[in-house]
Amino acid sequence: MGFEQDFEPLALDELHGFAESRRAEGWRYVQTLAVLTDEGIDLVYSFMKGGHLANHVVPIARDAEVPSISDVFLAAFVFENEIHDLFGVAIKGIAIDFEGNFYQLANEAPMTILSPEQAAAREKAKKAAAVKAAKEQGVAPEADDMEAKLAAMDPKKAAKVRAAMEAKAKKEAAAKEAEIEGKLKDMDSEKAAKVRAAMEAKAKKAASRAEGGE
Amino acid sequence: MGYASKSPWVIHYDGSSCNGCDIEVLATLCPGFDGERFGVVNTGNPKHADIFLVTGSVNEQNIAVVKEIYDQMIEPKVVVACGICACTGGVFHDCYNVIGGVDQAIPVDVYAPGCAVRPESLIDAIVEGVKALDEKAAALKAAKKERG
Amino acid sequence: MGKATIIPFGPQHPVLPEPLHLDLVVEDETVIDCIPQIGFVHRGLEKLVETRDYNQFIYIAERICGICAMGHSLGYAETVEELMGVEVPKRAEYLRVIWHELSRIHSHLLWLGLAADAFGFESMFMHCWRLRERILDIFEKTTGGRVILSVVKVGGVARDIDGAMMQGILATLDGIRSDYSALMKTLLTDTSIKNRTVGVGTIGYDEAVALSMVGPFARASAVNYDVRSFGRGAYGDLADFQPILDNQGDCYARVKVRCLEVLQSIDIIRELAAKMPAGDIAVAVKGSPAAGAQASNVLEQPRGECYYYARGNGTKHLDRMRMRTPTSQNLAGMATALKGCDLADVNMIILTIDPCISCTER
Repeated sequence: MGFEQDFEPLALDELHGFAESRRAEGWRYVQTLAVLTDEGIDLVYSFMKGGHLANHVVPIARDAEVPSISDVFLAAFVFENEIHDLFGVAIKGIAIDFEGNFYQLANEAPMTILSPEQAAAREKAKKAAAVKAAKEQGVAPEADDMEAKLAAMDPKKAAKVRAAMEAKAKKEAAAKEAEIEGKLKDMDSEKAAKVRAAMEAKAKKAASRAEGGE
Repeated sequence: MGYASKSPWVIHYDGSSCNGCDIEVLATLCPGFDGERFGVVNTGNPKHADIFLVTGSVNEQNIAVVKEIYDQMIEPKVVVACGICACTGGVFHDCYNVIGGVDQAIPVDVYAPGCAVRPESLIDAIVEGVKALDEKAAALKAAKKERG
Repeated sequence: MGKATIIPFGPQHPVLPEPLHLDLVVEDETVIDCIPQIGFVHRGLEKLVETRDYNQFIYIAERICGICAMGHSLGYAETVEELMGVEVPKRAEYLRVIWHELSRIHSHLLWLGLAADAFGFESMFMHCWRLRERILDIFEKTTGGRVILSVVKVGGVARDIDGAMMQGILATLDGIRSDYSALMKTLLTDTSIKNRTVGVGTIGYDEAVALSMVGPFARASAVNYDVRSFGRGAYGDLADFQPILDNQGDCYARVKVRCLEVLQSIDIIRELAAKMPAGDIAVAVKGSPAAGAQASNVLEQPRGECYYYARGNGTKHLDRMRMRTPTSQNLAGMATALKGCDLADVNMIILTIDPCISCTER
């Protein structure tokens, strides 16, 4: 008897009917687990027959309601209670329902809590992967990807690139100011004073917001 | 250590451990290492026990149980933290559900580190525990005399 | 006709090596219902994948359970190797299986001792554990640890067993076999033991299948399922492997299945030692699992089939690592077996499913 495994997607509304058909065909229920993803939670249900281990991935939103399959396979009640306690997923109709008291935990739904360091590390990995994928497709990196590129670069080089970018931005700002001055000179003097005052106020506001943000 | 005044009876409880230290506790009392030559008997009743062998980095649900067993034991009593998880939380010290060692729940007298704690360390720890037990018994007796 | 009383059992109890709480609803001396409460060992270690990379996590995986330590480190390593497409050298596979079968022998001997203690046969407990010390000596000579071995790593194993040591291991196993046969005869033919175990906690074949039971617990009810028959790794080189089955489904059958499995494991080790290939014991593993890659794995641990799942996210840390242990699968079966039994049989029935609560709760 050989062993093989595969991963197939499954929709949430087909879940209960699918479990019933598996039991009717003599498949053995193996387990249920939950994985935290960026979009929500993936539930993975596994069944086995012969040497074939079939894993079915059911993507759901965090607040979705999931029907229990413990009326079809009683052994599932353990995993469904655990997923409810650790991930905060609402599962309806569990055969032996502990209603949140399966584990007494220090925090609620602890597996959904991501510390800031981990969130940052995953963001970084994702951006690096996106840049790599874009490169492979031959697409030119855009301004957003500049950040990702800098993050993935050698720090000294990144500092040089950043300095060059700042110099470019300063040059552009100076050119814009010169253009505005030119326009103001051609304007009526009173109106010009009003415009200048408004521009100064705007600049002050932007500066204070930037300082407050730091 | 000279003569101990009594044979120490132990009560063992697994406070959220992986069972490694628990099976080493039982192995200490089995013929391989023979902790029973010190007169040690493994009892299940806290009121019969002198030494409380706790294993495991205690989790939220277990704090009440460990405290309950400790409170039910009669003075003089000694607590031995077996294994590194019971001493400091061990490799699980940063888990979300772990409070980081038995001394966060009850006072500990002897620390026996190791992962899993070796039976030789445990025998050593029990002997240390008996010493502490004798000191506590002497202190209780002195206090009783003073009261008259 | 009596009235129902609720008796709390555990978490601290002389026969239980681990904390487990049961509320037994009892009428006179008969248990009519049983409500389990677990959660005393839940440490939340699956979340530690976020702070330990995939090489370091193997030390956490071993410490899920001290009795099944070798099994968990093996299952974890196999899953990560599947995830990253790493192929382990043949000699490493053989060594892993030899240590795993030794772990099975030690676990069953441990269990036999505890089961005997559960119905009051303390001297049998002492004898079984005395024999078990010889296996722990083998572990210490070959890996350095008695309980937590730390010998499996992602890509192979960390230590080798040379020819002379292997001959020593086989000699020890032969010595164990002869002493063990005497113990087995007592366990399986003694009248008092039979009185306590025959017909107690019976689960039939259909019920076992409906409850999705695994391991010797299910094989005692004639469910023919053992992951080792898939022939993966070194198990594929065995001449003939047949799972040990029994169709009575009661406590006696479960004791018998486990007793015979010890002898089967000794035979497996002997066969593999003779066929052991030469070669490397590990390959270097570089890089990280690809983002979104998934892998699952099953392994026959002493208590049954254990399922592992891993998902990568492109960094050295796994996104998710999940171990579904055999006891969590068997909890439904345990609750069913306890219904209708005598209060004095509760210990026996709980221990014959070979519960490993720390595995279940991680």
